[in-house]
Formats: sequence, structure tokens, C-alpha cells
Amino acid sequence: LCRGGLAERLCRLQNRERSAINFWRHQCISDAKIPSDKTGVLIVKILEMFEECTIQVAICQQLEQSPAMLSSEDAVISAGEPILKVLFARETAAHLKSRPQDVIHIYPPWQKLLLRNADVPVIMNTYFSQKVLLSEHSETREKTCSLTKMLIKKNIISLAQTFKLDDLDDELHQESSDHQVACAPQIPDNCDSKQHPLAQSAVNDSLLEMVESQGAVGWREVQVRVIIQRVYCLPAREGYRSHVQGNKPLLSNRGLFCRLCLLVQDAYGMFSEVQLQSLSSADDIEHYCRRWEGKFCCLAGMKILQRTTRGRALGLFSLIESLWPPVVPVKVPGQSQDSEMMTSDLPPPSFCYILTVQSGEIHVEVDEEEQISNLYQPPAVRGLKEILQINGCNVRCSFWAQVLYLRLQTKYSVPINQREILLFVTDSTLQNGVHMIPKVVAVSVAASCVLSMEVTEALSVVSRLVFFKDALWGNGRIICVERTVLLLQKPLLYSAAGADLSELTGPVRLDELDSTTQANSICAVKGTVIGVNESTAFSWPTCDRCGNGKLELCPQDREVLYCNRCSEVVISPVLKMQLEVFLSCPSRSQSTVKVKVWHKMSFRLFVLINMLLSLQSYEVQSVLGKEVGLLNCYVHSVTSHPNCVALEEIVLL
Amino acid sequence: MDSTLPAVAEELLKEIKKAFQETSHGTDMFSFRLKFIFGPSAVPALDLVDQRSVTRVMSPSGRTAYQVLGSSGKLYTCYSSCHFCTCPAFGFTVLQKSESLLCKHILAVYLSQAMGACQELTVSEEQLTSILLAEEEDEG
Repeated sequence: LCRGGLAERLCRLQNRERSAINFWRHQCISDAKIPSDKTGVLIVKILEMFEECTIQVAICQQLEQSPAMLSSEDAVISAGEPILKVLFARETAAHLKSRPQDVIHIYPPWQKLLLRNADVPVIMNTYFSQKVLLSEHSETREKTCSLTKMLIKKNIISLAQTFKLDDLDDELHQESSDHQVACAPQIPDNCDSKQHPLAQSAVNDSLLEMVESQGAVGWREVQVRVIIQRVYCLPAREGYRSHVQGNKPLLSNRGLFCRLCLLVQDAYGMFSEVQLQSLSSADDIEHYCRRWEGKFCCLAGMKILQRTTRGRALGLFSLIESLWPPVVPVKVPGQSQDSEMMTSDLPPPSFCYILTVQSGEIHVEVDEEEQISNLYQPPAVRGLKEILQINGCNVRCSFWAQVLYLRLQTKYSVPINQREILLFVTDSTLQNGVHMIPKVVAVSVAASCVLSMEVTEALSVVSRLVFFKDALWGNGRIICVERTVLLLQKPLLYSAAGADLSELTGPVRLDELDSTTQANSICAVKGTVIGVNESTAFSWPTCDRCGNGKLELCPQDREVLYCNRCSEVVISPVLKMQLEVFLSCPSRSQSTVKVKVWHKMSFRLFVLINMLLSLQSYEVQSVLGKEVGLLNCYVHSVTSHPNCVALEEIVLL
Repeated sequence: MDSTLPAVAEELLKEIKKAFQETSHGTDMFSFRLKFIFGPSAVPALDLVDQRSVTRVMSPSGRTAYQVLGSSGKLYTCYSSCHFCTCPAFGFTVLQKSESLLCKHILAVYLSQAMGACQELTVSEEQLTSILLAEEEDEG
């Protein structure tokens, strides 16, 4: 259970309540006396009973006094006495063993619920209930009770009836859109510090002091001046708690709620992550990075969300460590304002405060006009070859690479918006690399890395140069996680010590299939056809304009094909064919190589498939031994027993 | 005799929604009522809400369905037009034995709606169709 979550709270309350119920019941048995003076006790007489989903529903009459006072003749129902529907939980009902005409005392705390369209109030949470036995008839009744088993009618609830929470829904949506408009201007673009009320008070330069003075007199007015080292979006976890109050998380295109964050550093070198309120869209991340990174910013009256340490927040601290040591000397607390210390031997920070903005007030002012601070460390761009050779784990790295191919993880148990994306990238350092260096490397983008709409669209359309800022290298893999930002343009500032950032010239080459090829990678394949999997051969027409593979028959003329994406008839469809062939590849001669060929294929294979599909007889021998040229493929699987490689032909972006 | 429990459950959920709109957090009273009406499903459903496991999936035509990431990591589909969930507990406890109104996933869907904790996802018509039909496992 989540700590501090609603479920945990309910669990604790439940446990307390259960012990209270048991204690009360035990007390009732031992007292064997009905307390007479109780306020809040509900006295009811059961008229009718039935069961709904283990809850016992008793239609009751509410009595004013204990029926011990009444004589048995008064047991007739008098009109006008209020009727109630009392619900008993399964366990309470088993304890009570009640029947119609029984009188029950219900002790507080019970709860009353008034339904909108019904007159009869509903009584629930009736755990503290006790049956009252009318002394005259008690003995005989007990005997009859134990002899006959009572049958209670069970109501089966229809599943067709759903619960409508909707009448309030429209209001909620209106409120959220209003609120969004109100939120956006709260982070001012160009603040004139003279006019701003916060400028009245003195400006501090220590985050630690601000944090430690929380709650003290005047702490809200104290401002801290820091520099913004990084700007990124984090997927929000507490979305629903703050949803209504205006600390509204925003929706990025992947359907995840996310929040704009700043990693700031003060003059003493201390870091803090500041979580801001919502903006109008997550797509502005590139925009905010350019405008804000490296600039000074004033924080005031922040709320401390958490004090976290390296052990608990590896992702955050890997970013902080990539910015350590500071590039200029930082101040040392306790010494005079002017003295500074060289930072090369200072250990990296072991704790960090996560701050958030209080709703409704302006607390973060970015001074965009001033120049970049000396303390700012722009992302250090490296060539992929250099990154692959880094010794170490959880190291943040930034690079500029061309995306060749994209693959979405296919685990259906994970919702689409949370699936990992696998990007195959390269740069000139890999393409021009020598033996033992792969030509293409896979970068996996986790669901926690927030992508803007622009980036997601650009990635799937055409081969793009993408700037990966603060990706994580470790265990031989590059991954994009929380705090990694993908941008389509190089940032204004970056350091590129010796990195080869030249553009790729000439066509991109992939590694050829060999004994080191692993699953979920891409490679180039060359070989001769040694077999054909006939059962996998099929062909289908595609639209020559848009490539739509799902054409339909025209309703008017069943001989003609229709493309509903173009909304037009397809006069000359392009026939696409698919076939699985077995190749013998000299580069990996021990394995059976199976390739699903479908994008473009040699003429011989085309002819073969045509024959397979249209004619009754064919000559497979005519195709065996034919060469299949360099095909770009995605490796689905590599198995050793049997020694088999399953590939699928792909088209690079 | 008309059934009572659904009306009670609906009213309770409406009140929870109203309380969340006003104060952005529930009160303990709702927890008690939830437990009383929904029994053993209440705590697991709240846990699913705490972990924000509910996604409302919408298609351009306006059709919706809900996907809930269960505690075992499996994704269950809940319909919006009737009470139905693809989890085995629903089949057993609700359909077969009529011991419960809802399974914990359907309850989590309602609670997430009431507390504004639903994630939202828009998909194409074909994708929604495949979600509503039985899911197929990928061999690759």
C-alpha cells in the first residue's frame, strides 16, 4: 500500500474500528443489560428483510421508546411512524440473527444517508447493533429460532445500471479550463523588479537558510537568488490530490500528467528541485529551456515537499553529480561574504530539497534580461563513440544524433502511453568508427521521460537529428528517463570539448549480421535463399497516394478499390507482398536466418511470390540460390538452441 | 422490491466527488462508508487510486472504456456502459455469486472519477475496438 495514501488510512481506521466493535460486543454480553439512557441510539423494529450482495437490508419502523415499555398489544404498526431502510453488514447480520418483528437497538456511530429521489432514509455503519429481547416471549422465540432456518430473499442487482457521477462533471471541466487560463500568466515573462512587491525585501543567496527559516516570522517575504541549471518536465504522481486546488498538472501528448521543474543552484553550490505549476502546454519545454537555463531566478515563500538523499533519488542525484564540481568557486557558509573556496575537493551534495510553489501566488521570478551566470554548466555534448566507452554507471550524458528507426515496445499488458520507445541512433563518430565499435546504438525512452508532441511526431516521420540532453548511461545502455529532455534543436549553449559534431555525409550504414548480433537491434543482412516458408506468403494492395494498406471495395462498383484516408478511388494500387525466407549468410554461417521480407525485395522473390499466390504449381527451385542484397532488418530474436535468428525487414526513416 | 444498494452506492460516490471538488481531499467518514458498502473491495480500490492506475480511454467517436493496471501488473478493461470488468474476481464474486456489486477495479474507476485521478488517453477507433475485444498476447 502507498504510504500516506487513502488505502493505508482506511486500513488503519478499519483496524481501530474492528477492535472497538469487538470490545463493545463483549461488553454487551457481560453487562447483559440494556443501557437505558443512551442518546443517539436508534430503536427500530424490523418489518421486512432481504439481502443484496451480502448486505442485509431491513425495512424498519423507527420506534420512539424501547418496546420493553410497551405491551405486546401495541406491537401493531401504527401509521405515521417513520420508515427507515437499515443496512447491516454480513458479519453484523450473522451476529444479530434477526427476523421480522425483532426490535434492534443501533448505537452510535451509525450514519444516515438521504437519497436524492427516495423518501426513505438509509441507515448504515450499523456495526454497534443489538437485538432487544422482549422478556415475555423470549424463551419461546429462542426455541423457534433455533429450529427453523430463516430464508431471506436475495435481490440480484442488475449490471446494466451504472453509477452516474456526471451532473457535476461539466462544472468540473469548466472550472479546469478557467483555472488554466488563470494559471498561465502567473509565471511572468518579463518582470520588472521595481514594481514587484517581492522586490521590497532583501535578497538572500542561501537555499539552506531559506529552508531552515521556514515558519519563522517573515519567512514568506525572504527571497533567495539562485541560478537555473536545468529545466525539464516530470511525470506527476500526486496529480489527483492537487487537481482541484489549482496546482494543476498538465497533460503531455503521451497522456501522462506532467509538471514543469527547475534544477536550481545557489551561491553556496547547494541544489534544489523546484516543481512549478502548470503551463498551457508541455510542448513549450524547448522554449523554456532556451529562455531560462543559465539565468538567475528569485524564489520566495516556497513550500518544502521533501528532503531527499542520494539513496532515495538516484535519478535526481545523477543529474546533480553531472553538474559537480561547480565551474566557479562557491561560497562557504559561516565565513564572510567575500571569501570563496576552490571547489575541486568539495564532495558532491548528499541531500537535496524538493520545493514547490504555493498555489495562487507568484513565487518564482526568472530574470530573463540579465546575462547567463558563470555558475551555469551547459550540457556537455559528446560523441556516441565516447559515451559508449564511459566507465561508470548512472552517468548523465548529452549528445546529438540522427534517429534511424523507431520501435514501440509491444507488451500489451502495459497501456500505450506508458510503453517504452526504442530509438536506433547514430552519429558521425559511430559511422566513421573502426572495427569493434557498433555503427548504430539503441536508446530506450522510458515512460518517465516526458516527450513533447512536436518531438513525438518528428520522430516517427522522417530521419531527424535530435538533441538528447542528460540521458543516462549505465550497464552498457543509454536510456532516457525522468529529467532527460529531447529537443529538436541544439541548445544555445553547450560545451563540446573535442566532440565531432559534423553532419553525416553519405548514406547511413548498419552493422552487418554476425555472431555478436543481439535481439532488439538493427542490422544489415546479405545472403542466399535456401528456403521459403510458403505458408507466410501473401499480398495486399495499397493506395498509391498515401500507402494505406487497408483498402476497401467500393460500394458502388465491387471491382474497384477505395481508400478511406484519401477518400478517393484507387485506380492503380501498389501491390505489397510479404514472405518469410530462409537465408544462408556467410557472416553468420552457423545460424538459420529467417527473414520476413516485405518492403522491397529482389525481382526474383517478387516473381516467386507471384507464382505462389496466383498459380497452382510453382518451381521453388528457380529461386533457391538467388542472392538477397543488403537488407536492413530488425532482429526479433536470437536463439542458440536451435541456432536461429528471426529478422524483419525494415525501412529506415 | 426495488434494489437499494446501487442507489446508496451512487449517492456515496457523488458525495465523495463533491467533497473532493471542494477540499481536494476526502474525509474519514467517506472511508467508513466505502468500507461498509463495498466491503473487502474498498481498500484495494483505494490503493489502485493512490497509484493512479485508472486510465479513461476515449476514441474520436466518443466511445470510452477504462483500463486499470491491477496490482499484479495485468491490465484489466472495465466497460463504461455497464458494470463489467475482465478480471477473474468479477466473474466469480459479482457474476457467479452475486456477493458484491463491483470488483475492486470498477470501484477504482468510480473513485478515480470522483477524485479526478483518472489518466486520460485518446486512441483510434481500431485501437479501442481491440481493447474491448479480447486481448491477444504477442509472441515476439
